[in-house]
Amino acid sequence: MNIAFEEKSVWVQFLALIFILGGYFLTAAQMVRAGVDHLAAYAPVFAVSVVMLVVVLIAGHIVAAATSRSEQRDERDKIIAWRAESLSSWVMGVGIIMAITAMVVGVSSVWVAHGLLLALLLSELGCLMLRIFFYRRGI
Amino acid sequence: MPRRKLPIENNIRELRFAADGMTQQALADAIGVTRQTVIAIEAGRYSPSLEVAFRIAAALDAPFDRVFRYLGAPA
Repeated sequence: MNIAFEEKSVWVQFLALIFILGGYFLTAAQMVRAGVDHLAAYAPVFAVSVVMLVVVLIAGHIVAAATSRSEQRDERDKIIAWRAESLSSWVMGVGIIMAITAMVVGVSSVWVAHGLLLALLLSELGCLMLRIFFYRRGI
Repeated sequence: MPRRKLPIENNIRELRFAADGMTQQALADAIGVTRQTVIAIEAGRYSPSLEVAFRIAAALDAPFDRVFRYLGAPA
């Protein structure tokens, strides 16, 4: 299958987010179960995940660029990205409303922060899945 | 995955062969898009902008209505 750099980039982002931020959420779930209720305790784990994410994204994009022709993002890439972002942005909106509601009713900051982070992750994953769908199906 | 068909047909593939067997990559380079976009346009999976459509006609040295044909809105 001949895949352009833009589509390879989407796959790199999708897999990196699934495995690295997915790994963070598994670790965070274990910490919650162990009774860790200070948000600051999660910060080092999150920082390591972000560094790993950046490293994997850079390495993945280097490999994607090395195996692709040097091409600019064209109008189809932009339309696919705009449409996917437009459709997936409501996930983030719902997450923000739910987080505000949770804060109002006095839910722990650990849950609020992770709820927001989860909404961001799901919104981004939704956007990337839609981009892959539009690349495969057409737009 | 079912592929979406658009109500616009084109003869790009035939016209490329008529133009000394122009490759998809050569056409893509001439009109400033990726080869995957040319593939998607040829397969009827992407409707290009008016500007790109005119660039395609110019690159293939063919009148616009020989390159693209509108089939009408689906019933």
